[in-house]
Amino acid sequence: MLKRIWPLVVKEFLHLIRDWWMPAFMLFGGAFELLLVGWATSRPISNLPLMVLDQDQSVASRAVVAALENTGTFELEAQAPDLAVIQDALDRGQVNAAVVIPPDFDNEMASFTGRPTLLILLNGAESIPARAALRAIEGATSEMGERITLRRLGLDPEELSGFEPSLRVWFNETLSEALYTTPAELGLMLEFTVLLFAAMSFSRERELGTLEQLLVMPVSSMELIVGKSVPAVLVGFCDFLLMLGMVHFAFGVPVRGSLPLLFILAFGYLLVELSKGMVISVISRTQHQAFLLVMMIGMADFLFTGYAAPVESMPPIIQGVANLVPAHHWLTILRGILLKGATLDELWPNVLAMVGLGLVIGTFSLRYVRRALD
Amino acid sequence: MGVSLRRLWAVARKEINHIMRDQTTFILVLLTPVTMLFLMAYALTVDIQHVPVAVLDSDRSPTSRAFVQRMMEGDDLDLYAYVDSLGEIEDMLMRGTIKAALVLAPGFERDLLTLRGMPLQIVIDGTEPESGGYAVDHIGGRAEAFISELLACHQNGPFQGVMVRHMQPSGVALGSVQAIDLRVRTLYNPSLKPRVDLVPGLISLVLGFPALSVALTLAQEREHGTLEQVMATPIRRAEILLGKMIPYIVVGLVNVIVIPATARVTFRIPFAGSFALFFLLSGVFLFAILSMGMIIGVFIHTQPAALALSFLVVFFPGFFLTGIFFPIAAMPEMMRMEALALPGTHYAVITRGVFLSGAGLDVLWPYGVMLLGLGLAFTAVSALFFKKKLG
Repeated sequence: MLKRIWPLVVKEFLHLIRDWWMPAFMLFGGAFELLLVGWATSRPISNLPLMVLDQDQSVASRAVVAALENTGTFELEAQAPDLAVIQDALDRGQVNAAVVIPPDFDNEMASFTGRPTLLILLNGAESIPARAALRAIEGATSEMGERITLRRLGLDPEELSGFEPSLRVWFNETLSEALYTTPAELGLMLEFTVLLFAAMSFSRERELGTLEQLLVMPVSSMELIVGKSVPAVLVGFCDFLLMLGMVHFAFGVPVRGSLPLLFILAFGYLLVELSKGMVISVISRTQHQAFLLVMMIGMADFLFTGYAAPVESMPPIIQGVANLVPAHHWLTILRGILLKGATLDELWPNVLAMVGLGLVIGTFSLRYVRRALD
Repeated sequence: MGVSLRRLWAVARKEINHIMRDQTTFILVLLTPVTMLFLMAYALTVDIQHVPVAVLDSDRSPTSRAFVQRMMEGDDLDLYAYVDSLGEIEDMLMRGTIKAALVLAPGFERDLLTLRGMPLQIVIDGTEPESGGYAVDHIGGRAEAFISELLACHQNGPFQGVMVRHMQPSGVALGSVQAIDLRVRTLYNPSLKPRVDLVPGLISLVLGFPALSVALTLAQEREHGTLEQVMATPIRRAEILLGKMIPYIVVGLVNVIVIPATARVTFRIPFAGSFALFFLLSGVFLFAILSMGMIIGVFIHTQPAALALSFLVVFFPGFFLTGIFFPIAAMPEMMRMEALALPGTHYAVITRGVFLSGAGLDVLWPYGVMLLGLGLAFTAVSALFFKKKLG
């Protein structure tokens, strides 16, 4: 049997070498993309354009402006001459937020019962930066406010300290964004790569009319499937190694758990996605169809992985469905091994689920694809 | 080099026949944008709630119990378990059964009542900080209210007099001592719901899907050997490229009508601006993004490679680099330049403007001009290299 599979594998690799763009994109494209995306987005939000209208022009108001600048979140635009300019800038989406300091700000700060007020205008059309801006403004002003209150109460700041709960972040002490986003992006990139690769396998032969020739050869459908699978898994696994090395060296993502365990589970996950891809490849008549199906199925998986939103926040039915999605368990395993140093002791429910789902999907896929080919 | 409408139409009709003959593909091409919008809008805008939390209460006083009970009210946090040691918390975090933990130190009640502070530590899972961060915000807000109520009940506290005189009338809670009054006014999306601006933003991504198909069609003709025949006719290169784009522009425009309706009905996204303007600018965007797909088709000669590349050039950057999720202002300089070269970046401004702020042409024209410029540039590049690549 091996003797017959080998030429099939060689044939696949000859295809890949002849059309070397495809494996090159699959291998290096994903890693390169991950590098770009990680570099561009795994950082705290900064440089948000902010407009200030200082109607007070006092020491106190200038202190507010300085405090806003010191947050590091904002890029201060030139001072606005009036509210109309601010409104216009917000309408045009040129600024994410604006702060208006009213004329009596200094007096209110100084008087014992005064209530200093700041008007904050946010551009809700971009809610993510708007939230970041509001958070930064609250942070900057609460420190100032605390000082005034203490002064008014005639208290020593030491006496009132400690009403904020202390915070401890586990597994990611510095709360680095790269640490929690890039492993998930790696996991997704891997899924799409393998799905796409596998989905092309038979749909391409069919579209080009060469499937007939393969089927009349003296090889069994099983051997055909194995021959098609070897390159897909190999390219997928190399892609995984490449991306793993990259997130480790470029973004400092640690590997706290066992690397061999991760490799074994990654290999298992690849087989599961491969099985899905194979089914797509025999359903589709053309590569175009296969591609569109991969996009939709991959995206539906993405919904349930917990990358974008925590699964426990979803409605119970959706949580149930999420547990049937291999990518969900894979992402938990990947994060667990890399960031938490988790072992089989902690991960067994996810591993068990992934293996179980894999067996079901794999068996179905094998039977379905064989029947479709025979 | 003039472009003849008659010849353009001939190519377009040929392409339409291709698409219509293969109905499964046609339906898939037509449905992909709306389906993707649906999936992504749901996946990306889940409101965080039911964060599983463990509690380590070493104080075991009425106050600490009341505090924990108060924190767990509502749907935001779910009490997973009371634990007796930090080791248990570590184990649960490791297994992912909890996302955060509250650690109340001994003397919690005494310290609070004597205004010495709040000996509370919140532990969160740094691998999924969205849930943990949400728990921190939630606890911070509730703790503040809890403390001021607690102190109001206990008349014998040392600062009671001061508090009643100065803090209660102005409504300032002692917990945060926030004395500066922030009057926040949020325009266009008053509740700052992410879904309201993500859905219009995502339109710029999902409307780009026909571009992936365009990238394939040229490669397909090459693989099937039919490009040769088309080239043998007196049709000009630019006409072939533009003609091939027309049916996909039509498919895109159908989606331009369907998508705002979907956004409105399913996600309750307002549509503040002019639909005619949206339709027009969407047409310009489709031209730009399809031209981008066409470049791939010109350079790459097989479908799998065209697929892989269009995925990397159109889909992933469209998702991460167009400012839908991560503000472009916060990206490194080089990435900002790349973002400006992506049609989706400009179109996302247009969709959010038209949907949410009701922006008109006076505000949006620069983005429209950018899209037109990008489209013309992309088409010029493809026409130029199409010729050379054939020789």
